[in-house]
Amino acid sequence: MIQMFHVTKAYPGDPAVLTDINLDIDKAEFVFLTGPSGAGKSTLLKLMFLAERPSKGQILIAGRNIARVRESSIPYLRRNIGVVFQDFKLLPTRTVAENVGFTLDVLGVSRDEVRERSLKMLRRVGLEHKADVSPLKLSGGEQQRVSLARALVNDPAMLLADEPTGNLDPALTVEIMDLLCDVNARGTTVIVATHDASLIERYEKRTLRLERGSLVADTRGEKAAKLMAHDQ
Amino acid sequence: MSTRARLAYFVRTAIGSMVRSPFVHVIAIAALALSLVGFGLARIAAAQLDALVASLGGEVEFTVYLGPDSPEDKVAELEKALVARTSGTLTRISPAVALGRLAAQLGEQGRSLTELGDNPLPWSLELKLPPSSRDPVALKTLAERTRALPFVTGVDYGEEALERLSVIARALRLAGLIVFALVFLTTVIVVSATLQLAIFARREEIEIQKLVGGTDRFVRMPFLIEGALQGVISGGVALAGVYGVIRWLERDGGDLVGFLMIDGRFVVAWGRLALEQLGLGVALGLTGSFIAVRRFLRV
Repeated sequence: MIQMFHVTKAYPGDPAVLTDINLDIDKAEFVFLTGPSGAGKSTLLKLMFLAERPSKGQILIAGRNIARVRESSIPYLRRNIGVVFQDFKLLPTRTVAENVGFTLDVLGVSRDEVRERSLKMLRRVGLEHKADVSPLKLSGGEQQRVSLARALVNDPAMLLADEPTGNLDPALTVEIMDLLCDVNARGTTVIVATHDASLIERYEKRTLRLERGSLVADTRGEKAAKLMAHDQ
Repeated sequence: MSTRARLAYFVRTAIGSMVRSPFVHVIAIAALALSLVGFGLARIAAAQLDALVASLGGEVEFTVYLGPDSPEDKVAELEKALVARTSGTLTRISPAVALGRLAAQLGEQGRSLTELGDNPLPWSLELKLPPSSRDPVALKTLAERTRALPFVTGVDYGEEALERLSVIARALRLAGLIVFALVFLTTVIVVSATLQLAIFARREEIEIQKLVGGTDRFVRMPFLIEGALQGVISGGVALAGVYGVIRWLERDGGDLVGFLMIDGRFVVAWGRLALEQLGLGVALGLTGSFIAVRRFLRV
């Protein structure tokens, strides 16, 4: 699903944020991305959803070299990638259902169909009864579930989540993680950047570890969690 | 993917944004409407000036004075040529008629004219010019050619007055154009700056739209529709404003702009003005939005 060959990302005048990254993530795989703050996790995710371009190297997503994609083609590629952020990025001026339907509006789906599919997705994340309220009236866990519903409503092939449980308490964290596992079980490739060693240990998924911009370990479960002992 | 659904979404988003942040949009509409009122009044003043020139043109007579013993066939030929050239109405005036007119004009003093033994006034041709033949340059050429005829002793058509009026009308029109260009530029800057405030408030929405795969065109369209809607609303407001000002001037502004009125009224083609106001409003709104949103697409 995702292949990276000798990928380096550097900003002019600064040391490289990512150096010589090589990785291969299969279709429908679930992968954790860990590492201390500033290790380059968010930048790696940004490269995957084309918010950034690599300074060197090649990135293949579903066989397509995105390092060579034209700027005007990027929106169309992003429609196959769902993204979830730590700060949810929900619009307070829209209802929950409207926030979820945002992804479908971009595709030119009719208003009725947007509503229908948004409600269906909200049902899946257990929030259909909150469809017409403002996201501001939801708890952190609920807001993250709305954010997840927005990322998934279009059935993307890949879901990227940047610290999706970073602002949530342990019970809500499990709730969101279970949803991500459910999405993955339905065939979506899921990549989750996290600081949380307990998640790594509990869910026993493949874990890629970044340190100072380099990929230093590709392990899983307890072994991966141990490597995180000194992370901040 | 339906174009109709997408268009409906753009219009909904644009209207929703205007409802959600009315203050910013009211400022933009006010700025646009003020410029359009200025444009409308300038347009009416220019049209009024044209109408004045036309009404004065109706009073301009092209008079050809004939020498004694002018050959009848040549005079008839000249008459035909003048009428063909100007589409005017020609009258041949005898010396006796001319003397009678002069006496009437002079009133009491004119009586002494009747005591003259010989009538000193010549035969003349009076040509009343329709508005389409008032062009000073064309009239000057016609006068020069007519004067060159051997049996013609003089030509008079109020040359100076007509030329001066035309120059004033031209200068006013040019000044109007310059003022219009400046107002257009200022309005675009004001509208664009105001819309940038609205767009800034929606930068998060733009960011999310782009994250979920919205193209630049998709992001831009609601803002352009907003600009066009602002243009339509301000065009309507401006038209009402211009109507109010014109009616007020006709009622109470005689001392101020009486010189521009014809029979105490302004001649306004309201239908055409409405189209111009709306069209210009939309053009200004679209230009302002386009410039404003362009900066924010670089997110």
